[in-house]
Amino acid sequence: MTNSFAVAFAVARKDLTAEWRTRELVPALAQFVVLALVIANFGFQIDARNAPSIAPGVLWLALVFAGLVAFGRAFAAEREQASLEAMLMTPASPVAIFAGKAIAAGLLLVGCEAILLPALSLFFGTPMSAPIVAAVLLATIGMAALGCLFAAMVARIRSRELLLPLLTLPLWIPFIVAGGHAVQVAMGAGGSYDQALALLVDFDILFVVLTSLAARFVLDE
Amino acid sequence: MSIVVANGLTHWFGSEVALESIDLAIDAGEHMAVLGENGAGKTTLLRILATAARPTSGRLQIMGLDALRERKRLRARIGFVAHAPGLYPALSATENLNFFCTLQGIRRTRVAETLALVGLSEVAKRPAGQLSRGMQQRLAIGRAILHDPKLLVLDEPDASLGSDGADLLATVMRDRTVVLATHDHALANRLCQRTLVLRHGRSVGTPTRLHLVQ
Repeated sequence: MTNSFAVAFAVARKDLTAEWRTRELVPALAQFVVLALVIANFGFQIDARNAPSIAPGVLWLALVFAGLVAFGRAFAAEREQASLEAMLMTPASPVAIFAGKAIAAGLLLVGCEAILLPALSLFFGTPMSAPIVAAVLLATIGMAALGCLFAAMVARIRSRELLLPLLTLPLWIPFIVAGGHAVQVAMGAGGSYDQALALLVDFDILFVVLTSLAARFVLDE
Repeated sequence: MSIVVANGLTHWFGSEVALESIDLAIDAGEHMAVLGENGAGKTTLLRILATAARPTSGRLQIMGLDALRERKRLRARIGFVAHAPGLYPALSATENLNFFCTLQGIRRTRVAETLALVGLSEVAKRPAGQLSRGMQQRLAIGRAILHDPKLLVLDEPDASLGSDGADLLATVMRDRTVVLATHDHALANRLCQRTLVLRHGRSVGTPTRLHLVQ
């Protein structure tokens, strides 16, 4: 019998080990988010007064596009090397395999966020506080679950690069709205931070459960 | 006793028929070769027998279980070598097999023994991406037998194996029921008791070894 936790852990570790050795994704994503911040820095007339209202938007835009690339690669690489079928030909639960892929892709995005948040603080002069980090990390959980599910769904389709954003972005909107609000409040805007964070937790639970249920059918067929 | 019993296996890709009404019965320990030109339906048949694909219609029983409903249980008893090796190039040969041990729910003690069996002990620590195509194929064969499957489904496993490839295949096929797709009639004749010849997705007979030689 296979242990689902052991399988999820092994899949995540395998993906992270492969990334550590090849350094294919994280350096490229880090470069992308820094470039996005540089462009935003020159594109907007940033000063101490408007920075807290512009910075959250730039943060989420950079995060969303970095996420699309990270989650897209999670399954595209498996398809390219024909290794997904080898994994699915074992008695391991497809849900555990999916969870492992989502955890690894989510952690790679967290690695990218570790560059994005200090860089945002540097370019926009906004504070980097624990509430901002908490909101971004909570949003990453749900975004990783949804992003990986759709990445698995479109991985075998030729126009996957086009389809992945079209399917994923509409369902990421709740995370962008709640996460964006939480970050704005943490940067000094009015509103309830706790309420936005609670909403993020609710969305995380909802989408993690839904994607786990759907993953079995997406991966097994 | 038949390990594999198929009735009317048919598979369509859109409007193209890939397999048409294939009936099969393979006994325990029997080795069956599947022959045919490119596009004859060999890979489609093997993928269905390995539970990697579902037929459009027809019935398939493997080891007494309905292969369309009991895929998870059967996958613990089937070893499959597909066209592509499907390895992780950044992981070493040992790490690749260790990973699949976890997925199979078996102990890692079999890894060293399996690597020795497929002749890869000396390159066990080398990343799979740096192995030659033949070595990758050996590793894929090692992965397929890691969990000691009763049924082995091999899709052109001889491709890119070296001169001793047939000996390796004979070793891993011993004491197992095997379905082997190949273009090499001599290999089929050496390793298998029976053949199924496919043409345009249809069975055009199951000649015996004697017929093949003739």
